[in-house]
Amino acid sequence: MNCQQFQEVLPHIIETGGSADEEAHLQSCTACSDLVRDLKYIAEQAKLLLPMRDPGPRVWTNIEQSLQREGLIREGRMSRQGHTLTITQTQKKSWTPLGSVLAALAVITLAVVVINYHPRAIVTAHNSPATSSITADDQTLISQISQQQPEVRQAYEDGLKEANAYISDAQKAVDNDPNDDAARQHLQAAYHQKAMLYDMATSRSLP
Amino acid sequence: MTQAKKTIATGLSEAEAIERAKGGDAAAFEGLYGLHKRRVYSLCLRMTGNTAEAEDLTQEAFLQLYRKISTFRGESAFSTWLHRLSVNVVLMHLRKKGLPEVSLDEALEPQHEDGPKKDIGARDNVLAGSIDRVNLERSIESLPPGYRIIFVLHDIEGYEHNEIAEMMGCSIGNSKSQLHKARMKLRDLLKLSRAEKASRR
Repeated sequence: MNCQQFQEVLPHIIETGGSADEEAHLQSCTACSDLVRDLKYIAEQAKLLLPMRDPGPRVWTNIEQSLQREGLIREGRMSRQGHTLTITQTQKKSWTPLGSVLAALAVITLAVVVINYHPRAIVTAHNSPATSSITADDQTLISQISQQQPEVRQAYEDGLKEANAYISDAQKAVDNDPNDDAARQHLQAAYHQKAMLYDMATSRSLP
Repeated sequence: MTQAKKTIATGLSEAEAIERAKGGDAAAFEGLYGLHKRRVYSLCLRMTGNTAEAEDLTQEAFLQLYRKISTFRGESAFSTWLHRLSVNVVLMHLRKKGLPEVSLDEALEPQHEDGPKKDIGARDNVLAGSIDRVNLERSIESLPPGYRIIFVLHDIEGYEHNEIAEMMGCSIGNSKSQLHKARMKLRDLLKLSRAEKASRR
């Protein structure tokens, strides 16, 4: 089997595995094994991409206006802030949220600083522990969650790691080109993602 | 987190909000919007690659939700049902625009036909470990529409080929073939992006 023949059946191989012949070629051919590795890697990375951006406020305004025009709802029936309420859990807990609130505020503040695109601010943010795997603040939050609701601890830890990795990637893109608007938007979205996690965690303690 | 029961607004569970929205409760619908807007918008944005279009389609998806929510019977998870509704809104939009959703004629770069000879011995060409989310998102945006839609639906959103084939009115083989081409194209785009970055240093 040569590379041409191998590549013709590659979609099938990636999907269901190859025959003995195909496996033998894969073992002996660096180019084809690199190709397979790359394609699998791309698919794996794509699975890690999260919904990360919110639509602009005009979307909700337009929905509301359309429904009013169609007579499906009466004017003023919907609240102006309702859609910004965060997801919470049904089990309310009473753990002290002060540290987490402060940490959430720190995350949000850092995001605001970064969004201002001042070079010095970007350097500060880049060196911030917020870009590492788990920060001290994250660890504090996770510890609190562990004590109060251990069943969701792992989900929060994974979420924070994911958010931090996203911050790190976006920060690199901004550092690479400080005038790159799209990279800044990614950075904003990354910090927003992290702030949302803190917000969700702290909301759990509200009565 | 994902296993826990979701609540919205002031202690209203998602299931309760759905039931109330079925009865025309606008506040409950607003709560559902808050809960699902990010996922719907991200789906629309990734499928279209255009912010303004994605916002319009998010709006249309939620308007359709309001009109159709009474038909939701709970046979699947609400998020799955809404997601499918949103995908259909985007696909309908693309059909109206006349964009090719799937094109068998869309050829890859010439080197595909020539096999991977150019990679022989070039271990530094391996992508593993070098992709970050920003580059990947950008490269997905750069894919031709037909490739992008299949890639987003399969590799990001987790639809199976038979579901994609049904939604897009193509064969399962066609969906598989397009996905493979999309990944190949993405590989090229990601390598190009890496090379450009390296040349700037």
